[in-house]
Amino acid sequence: MIKIMMLSAAISLAATPLVAKEEAEVMHWWTSGGESAAIKVLADAYEAEGGSWKDSAVAGGSNARSAAINRMIGGSPTTAALFNTSQQYHEMIAEGMLNNLDSIAISNDWDEILPKPTLDAIKVNGHYYAAPVNIHMPTWFWYSKKAFNDSGIATEPQTIDELFAALDKLKASGYIPLALGGQKWQENLLFMAVLSNVGGKQLYLDVLKKRDAKTLNSPEFHKVVDTFLKLKPYVDSGSPGRNWNDTTSLVINDKAGIQVMGDWAKGEFTQAKKRPNRDYGCFAGLGDDSLYIVGGDVFVFPKTEDKQQILAQEKLVETMLKPLTQIRFNRLKGSIPVRTDIDVSSMGRCAQLGSRILRDESRQVPDGSMLMESYRYGSVKDAITEVWNSRDMSSKKAVKILSQALQG
Amino acid sequence: MNVIAIQMHFKRNLLAYIAALPMALTVFVAYMGTMFWSVRLSFSSSRMLPKNDFVGFVQYERLFNTSRWISSLENLLLIAFLFLVICFVLGFLLSIFIDQKIKAESFFRTVFLFPYAMSFIVTGLVWQWIFNPQLGVQKTVQALGWDSFQFDWIVNPDMVLYTVVIAAVWQGAGLVMALLLAGLRGIDEDLWKATKIDGIPAWRVYISIILPMLRPMIITTVVLLSISIIKMYDVVVAMTGGGPGVASEVPAKFIMDNLFERANIGIATAASTVMLTTILCLIAPFIYSNYIKKQGR
Amino acid sequence: MLSISPTNLKFASKRASSIQMQWGRIGIYGFLLVTALFFLLPLYVMLVTSFKELDEIRLSSIFALPQDVSWDYWKVAWSSACTGLECNGLQVGFWNSVQILIPSVIISVMFGAINGYALSFWKIKGANILFACLLLGAFIPYQVFIYPLIRVYAEIGIYGTLTGVVVSHVIFGMPIMTLLFRNYYSTLPIELFNAARIDGAGFFKVFFIIMLPMSTPIIIVAVIMQVTNIWNDFLIGLVFAGNDNLPMTVQLNNIVNTTTGERAYNVNMAATILTSLVPLIIYVASGRWFVRGIASGSVKG
Repeated sequence: MIKIMMLSAAISLAATPLVAKEEAEVMHWWTSGGESAAIKVLADAYEAEGGSWKDSAVAGGSNARSAAINRMIGGSPTTAALFNTSQQYHEMIAEGMLNNLDSIAISNDWDEILPKPTLDAIKVNGHYYAAPVNIHMPTWFWYSKKAFNDSGIATEPQTIDELFAALDKLKASGYIPLALGGQKWQENLLFMAVLSNVGGKQLYLDVLKKRDAKTLNSPEFHKVVDTFLKLKPYVDSGSPGRNWNDTTSLVINDKAGIQVMGDWAKGEFTQAKKRPNRDYGCFAGLGDDSLYIVGGDVFVFPKTEDKQQILAQEKLVETMLKPLTQIRFNRLKGSIPVRTDIDVSSMGRCAQLGSRILRDESRQVPDGSMLMESYRYGSVKDAITEVWNSRDMSSKKAVKILSQALQG
Repeated sequence: MNVIAIQMHFKRNLLAYIAALPMALTVFVAYMGTMFWSVRLSFSSSRMLPKNDFVGFVQYERLFNTSRWISSLENLLLIAFLFLVICFVLGFLLSIFIDQKIKAESFFRTVFLFPYAMSFIVTGLVWQWIFNPQLGVQKTVQALGWDSFQFDWIVNPDMVLYTVVIAAVWQGAGLVMALLLAGLRGIDEDLWKATKIDGIPAWRVYISIILPMLRPMIITTVVLLSISIIKMYDVVVAMTGGGPGVASEVPAKFIMDNLFERANIGIATAASTVMLTTILCLIAPFIYSNYIKKQGR
Repeated sequence: MLSISPTNLKFASKRASSIQMQWGRIGIYGFLLVTALFFLLPLYVMLVTSFKELDEIRLSSIFALPQDVSWDYWKVAWSSACTGLECNGLQVGFWNSVQILIPSVIISVMFGAINGYALSFWKIKGANILFACLLLGAFIPYQVFIYPLIRVYAEIGIYGTLTGVVVSHVIFGMPIMTLLFRNYYSTLPIELFNAARIDGAGFFKVFFIIMLPMSTPIIIVAVIMQVTNIWNDFLIGLVFAGNDNLPMTVQLNNIVNTTTGERAYNVNMAATILTSLVPLIIYVASGRWFVRGIASGSVKG
């Protein structure tokens, strides 16, 4: 028996040199040009530390996530898999399918350096189960400087009334006031922008997390829904089904005034050789205390007993969160570093603005996907799109539809 | 039948039984197995991963309280009717016309068939552009000077389904043409000679003689079209994403969204069980009369 | 052998109706041409878009011709578009796709033919119920099968292998293939079969000597369908193929599909057309058999 054990130990030792570099297979959906460049930063950082990165890219978030889950079910999990910072992977944690990262998280002080919403999404029952790599803020306001100038809008709107005034002026001077791509997720972003900017932090959290009848029947929530519906006349007729980037093009080409879209939209402006503050502007919300919705991406690490793989997983986490990697990666991804303790002065204007806001904990709120299960969030998106696209929708009826989805 | 006769039957047909074995295996392991498995899951509380508990009809109640599911079913009815009729009629006409000894037959055949080879991920987007009032046909016609021209079906909840049907027909009609053309080319030469002598007009020959003769091919075509209707997904995702609102949602998209993005296996399997039961009820009499009653032939 | 056509049919009364016939011909060509234009419209948009710069796409009409024709985006799509870390374009998965395509098409068409033949001519107890179940199964979305199949495949050790993909294609192709052949064979006269049986020919002999030669048109249709479905399949390849056998459509998807990333429409269009070329070649090549088709095998009566 001992002999056999020694033999197998010898074999595994002998086999080790072949995989001397910790090979890490990483499943993700970052396949478009900018995204590819961003993931390359992570891969290069990992390989610089002596690991070997095996790329498994599958476009489309839900495609890649189910591919990762399928691999686990089939008994050949990848080393790491990309998920959104959300509850998408919480069921896997409950089923014991993920390795925890406690030792790295504690030695690197994650409790201190990560924003609370992100921390809450990766920490379950006191254990850390995912490595966050960035913060995406999904509801930035992007606007065309030319459209603003032509319409006589001197300053960025600070209140919802000023926003409507600006939209009216844009309309009067012949611009599409609000550029919206009429796809479910984009309509959802617009709703979340209204909820956070009109409702404020407490209502935002109560609506999406507590979801109680009192909150949903409150005049404050009615006002949010009302405001959302009031935006509809400012959208052009070509909206339904339009991709987000084609919608951003409208702002880039000075055909439209404002678009509400995530920080990734910056890439489109850069690609069209537009300069921030000269050709286009960005603001995260209305007023100096507007909320910053915290979204983002994390890697999870499927359970494995393989020592080599565990080492690879740990090394991945370590390298992904190094300050320099964080800066380089996020500059390409359009997001901002997940760590609040690093210097971002080398990043773009909008990113710096975002990082500054993020440091104020009172302005952070979690993205909807962190506050409820995927299936519920899906129904909420269905409800939002139904409300937005119905011809005669009263705010009362809209509240009812939204409440049903939130509580269902 | 006595024992000996049964033994004789099996002995005589032994090879046939062996040949049918892969089919039997596929049916029992893959199809029946999966069907039972998914029906079973529809009574569980499964979300992202399958669970073995039993929650009764909860998922079904939830399903039929979902307005998106109800509109999906309604949309499917309209799409099914239009798609089936238009695709079949257009495909049949094309196959007849191509069968008229025309010039450039292979050009036409390839043109009509090629959409079948294209992935909808991108062609769906192209259709979206063509229908988009700010980009496509409407804008182009208006630019030509006809200012009042309106063609905004894709952004109109009442009309969007017709755009889906148009794109789906565009992809599916070629296959119908190919199937029926294969059938037409199999029809006996003598038949044409006979009708020629009798002086029956061509269109009557097609309606009263050819159509009944093509019955098996037509059944094949209708079954194929029905399968693609039930599974219709790509075209909707790529063209309209189910919108505006839920105006072009379809059941297969509901099932897929819940199976993956929404990690809600329970409701997805409930939905697929509902679809399966509906189909079973719809086609049971058909299958019975065609395949079971007429044993063998 | 004369080919069938109402043109021949009308030949008898040529003098009386030659004008009417000409109008008929014009009508036929008119209809075919208009339909062809409708069918080509999206392809036209894709083609012109594949030659335009992104700025041009943003600003010009979707129907406008490109300012200048360069094959740059086609080259990018084929050999340098990024699909994640690798930037080698579509070509990466091409041979994998071929490797999956050939055995899957051959085996699934063969099974379809044998099943159809067995169902049409042989008395197998319970066969029709079996067939009904098979047909019913064709209505379930593939996606529902994934989880149980992965479990079974992992159990018997073919998960993540070429075998696994081929087996999946055979399974998912079986209902339609069987239906196709079964219904085709049921149009053939049973006397043919009976005569062969009296001569003492067995199951496979009848199949290979008599049935198969008569099946050309339906085999062509079956091959067209399976080549298209298998070549364009994304899901089965992605789920069952394992990393080393990923088909070209996974690369296509990686190039064109994104939610929040940028979209290079010109490259996307080129990539889509490139991917569809293999089925397209099969369509063109199948033409000659479409024409002759039955001629060789029409031994009716």
